[in-house]
Amino acid sequence: MKNVLLAAAAVLALGAPAFAQENVRIATEGAYAPWNFLNDAGEPAGFEIDLGNAICEKAGLTCEWILNDWDSMIPNMLAGNYDMLMAGMSITEERQQTIDFTQNYFPPDPSKFVAAPGANFDFANLQGARIGVQSGTIQAAYAEANLAEGNTIVSFATADQNMADLMAGNIDTILADGAYLEPIVTAANGAIEFVGEDVLIGGGVGAGLRKEDTELKAKLDEAITALKADGTVDKLIGQWFEGQGPFFTE
Amino acid sequence: MFDDIAFWVSYLTNGKHLTWYASFQFTIIAALLGGALAVIFGLTGATLKNSRFWPLRMIGTVYSAIVRGVPDVLFFLFFPLAFEQGVEWFVASQVCTPEMIAAQSAPWPPCKEANWFLGTPEYLILASVSLGLVYGAFATNVIHGAMRSVPAGQLEAARAYGMSESQVLWRVHIRQMWVYALPGLSNVWMLIIKATSLLSLLQIADIVLWADRLGAPNFLPTVGLVHDDWRWRYYLVLFVFYILVTWLSERAFDAITRRVGRGILSEAHG
Repeated sequence: MKNVLLAAAAVLALGAPAFAQENVRIATEGAYAPWNFLNDAGEPAGFEIDLGNAICEKAGLTCEWILNDWDSMIPNMLAGNYDMLMAGMSITEERQQTIDFTQNYFPPDPSKFVAAPGANFDFANLQGARIGVQSGTIQAAYAEANLAEGNTIVSFATADQNMADLMAGNIDTILADGAYLEPIVTAANGAIEFVGEDVLIGGGVGAGLRKEDTELKAKLDEAITALKADGTVDKLIGQWFEGQGPFFTE
Repeated sequence: MFDDIAFWVSYLTNGKHLTWYASFQFTIIAALLGGALAVIFGLTGATLKNSRFWPLRMIGTVYSAIVRGVPDVLFFLFFPLAFEQGVEWFVASQVCTPEMIAAQSAPWPPCKEANWFLGTPEYLILASVSLGLVYGAFATNVIHGAMRSVPAGQLEAARAYGMSESQVLWRVHIRQMWVYALPGLSNVWMLIIKATSLLSLLQIADIVLWADRLGAPNFLPTVGLVHDDWRWRYYLVLFVFYILVTWLSERAFDAITRRVGRGILSEAHG
């Protein structure tokens, strides 16, 4: 017991300088290209990293990127490990019960199914399919609510693992964000294709914040509005998502 | 051919891979620090278990019984979180004023000023302490058993020479105990090494996390080299690393056993 207290004192002494932090820490997953990923240098890169840096510059904040698994993204923000998250997270009512979002910086994006060519699904009455989703996503919630009966929902920790299992034939189809799937389907050269109808869920992608950080939210919203108006957001969307946009300027 | 080699060399030495190689330090630090703490906790636990004062004896027994039974993954998740909140609770009781508490709308911590940001160094220390606590419980049992294995005649002889109780303990009892404890402790050390693969659970960007990230399939040329699911290749590297560490550890333990057994007991060399 004494040792625990000693260890506690040691850790406290070492960790103490970390209490006072002025800059804003932004968490991202780093495994959701082109939204956010780790580039060859091993650093976070992608649409949200460029946009996040632009927002911070506009709002006059010093920002630092932190990697965190998708699964524990919201709990760890509530626990104070970082101040906001930009991780391709859709704004939903369910999430808004625990956290706040800025206005969206990517408009509502239809979710889509992909499968190997020649797969013949009767989407009106889907039965016996193995459907891959990333756990904790809006698609996972949608699939559990609407497709669980008669089908098998397979959850993956990252979107890439989900895709790898489709390529390996372990699952029949994937339901995921259209903007995530689009470049992969293009790059796959016919190895996978879109199937079925689009599913409209989610209120666009925004940055997540703790509910009490209203001051930060106001600053960020103001910066996003300005960046939408001056075309920066559309420019970045065009740069990272081929053929998408412009959404926020004429 | 040369182009191929040049390509792979540059791919395997890009920043992403260099970060992965650097992350081996976290695993090694956690193992060494965790191991050292396990021995300290083990010695403390064994001393408590041997104590003549029953409440202390109870603490030692309860510690080794309970902590040994809890799965290490669970303890690994539980201890750092509980500790962080404990520290925040303590800090909150010191710094939070009623106004600050009123301004806080989140359920935890009580006021924003009491929040403790945990980065990799803090998590690494907490992870090492967790490892030390969990495997210290095993070490407690090993050391407790080893203490009882030291022949009573050795201790009686030491007392007959006029040594004080603490001299008997440190110069004879603990000194000879190592011979009996080392085989068991080498086992505990192996378990600690294996448990270091859990570091990524605490969001430490360790070798397992990077192997996952580097091996994950990539479909987009803008992101980097396009490749299939290569995780098994990276896991294989970790596999080789852990075998290498095991082999080195065995050599080291053999050497230490020979060293501590020098001139003590012939049966210890068997």
